[in-house]
Amino acid sequence: MLVFVAKRLGSLAVVLFFLTLLVFTLGKVADSDPVRTYVGVNASAEAVEAAREELGLDNPIPVQFGSFVAGAVQGDFGISLSSKRPIADELSTRLPATLELAGWALALTVVIGVSLASLYSRPGRFGAFMRFVFFSAASAPSFLIAMLSVLVFYKWLDGALPAAGRSSYGPYEDATGFYVLDGILHGSPTYTWDAIQHLLLPALAAAVGSGVALARVLADGISSSLGSPWARTARALGEREGTVLRRHALRNASSPALSLLAVQAGFMVSSLVVVEQVFSWNGLGSYLSGAIGVGDFPAIAAVCLILGAVYVILNTLVDVALAAVDPRVRLS
Amino acid sequence: MLYSPRRTLKRLERPTPDRPDGAWSALGMGEKLSLIAVALTVLIAVVGPVLMPYSAIIPSGEQLLPPLSPGHLLGTDVLGMDMATRLVAGMQRSLFAAVVVTLIAAAIGTLIGVVAGFRGGWIDSALMRFTDLFLAFPAMIIAMAIAAAIGQSLGSAMIGIIVVWWPLYARLVRGEVRRVAALPHVQAARVAGVRGWKLLWRHVVPAVTPTVVVTASLDIGAVVMTLAALSFIGLGTPAPAPELGRMASDGMKYFLNAWWVAVLPSLAIGLLAFVFNYAGDALRVMLRRTGV
Repeated sequence: MLVFVAKRLGSLAVVLFFLTLLVFTLGKVADSDPVRTYVGVNASAEAVEAAREELGLDNPIPVQFGSFVAGAVQGDFGISLSSKRPIADELSTRLPATLELAGWALALTVVIGVSLASLYSRPGRFGAFMRFVFFSAASAPSFLIAMLSVLVFYKWLDGALPAAGRSSYGPYEDATGFYVLDGILHGSPTYTWDAIQHLLLPALAAAVGSGVALARVLADGISSSLGSPWARTARALGEREGTVLRRHALRNASSPALSLLAVQAGFMVSSLVVVEQVFSWNGLGSYLSGAIGVGDFPAIAAVCLILGAVYVILNTLVDVALAAVDPRVRLS
Repeated sequence: MLYSPRRTLKRLERPTPDRPDGAWSALGMGEKLSLIAVALTVLIAVVGPVLMPYSAIIPSGEQLLPPLSPGHLLGTDVLGMDMATRLVAGMQRSLFAAVVVTLIAAAIGTLIGVVAGFRGGWIDSALMRFTDLFLAFPAMIIAMAIAAAIGQSLGSAMIGIIVVWWPLYARLVRGEVRRVAALPHVQAARVAGVRGWKLLWRHVVPAVTPTVVVTASLDIGAVVMTLAALSFIGLGTPAPAPELGRMASDGMKYFLNAWWVAVLPSLAIGLLAFVFNYAGDALRVMLRRTGV
């Protein structure tokens, strides 16, 4: 087990290094000139030279890469070309926003996945209809789901759920930035409930796609488990079909589902970026699309690096967890 | 699946692979419909833009007309451009881009997979290390970073997706090549003196091709959606180009007053993806049943 963990950590380091190298290289070959974006098109030659020095672009490329890595490790991603403020400062309030949304979306993914899979794996009952639902939900872009949910819950149901922002109130002073948690910490049920209401629609829109993908893997696993000899034994021992499903089939199907969930986390990142834009959610995603709009590549690179690192680390953790519960993974 | 005698009987009634009309008649109603839907969609995307009465990039009526307005079946957008015309043109663009992306990614992946699987040795391990590295990267994020670095256009979004898509094919093809190379008839050819390119071209490539083709056709729906997501967050060609993702995100500004400007392009993307995902699955089922 120790050898497995050490190997996995080693490849994590390699992947993170190449991820950083790739993002840095993209910054160097990027279409736009960072200095011009920084000082504007009408700046004098001296101003351009000063900015070049300020951004560290007068150093040789390997030195620039070294300071990029050193900065990234310490959470310093340089200066945003458009706002001229440190990117790390701008991201510090946005990271909790995205993580909070991602956490809720992941929880909803599991809820959707498990309930759809249980419906689907009861043969005969919803077969063709569920297949249609599966394919529709898996083919709907997350912004379509976001738009439709806003139309239904905000427009037609007359503001039953809020359709923009994170809260009707401002953030607390000295807060964690996770609004639901902040509400609980400050003992305010109104604030907490309001934050949860704001979370529901965006989290749902981000969760449907991965929830359906999860359901498909679970349903496959469940239906092969239900036909297996030990499921027959369980039935012969008088267990009810629901118990066989929950206690035996679902548990056996959950290991491939867990590794799928880690992969889905990568796809969820892209739906989060999209969903944040629809719901004016002040997170990394809306920051990213803002930065794309003005060609601020250092800001784009910072967001990609953070999200990429989260994804790669998450996958490593899942691999180690799977190896811990299933010895076969360790040996392969 | 539960054991049930009725199910077993049904399975026995299925047409056997050697029946002449096997492939088509083995399909269920839904699967047949989905293949017809693909044909229709492709037809609309190819000839549709020519048949539409308006231009996709020139205003042709009043601004923000709702759907079912006279002369504008699906309404107009904020500049007064006809929505139906723009949707058909957008579907053509999406579909064309998705097919090109899939073909190039499959070609690159197949090339690398064949070389790795056929040559073996250090070339194999070097190529597969490289492939695994790309597989470990978060695909969407890398695609975004690449497209953002190249600039806002459909082409850069396509390049971004190709870069993260080929490794899947490389892994798949390498495995298939190694499997096929160990088959008796290929071994026999080798013993009979067929070597190198001739062996590869005559015996290995034909055996690998069906797998690649099926995988590619299953992928088109996913590529359509990925392209749309990139376009939605600003990595597509800016307006007035008829790009569905971009149309949807631009339409968000007037969403509560004129829902159709944002919702219809999103629906068009969903429809394209649905048709291709469903038909891809039908194709898989068909091949499994006929044992090709």
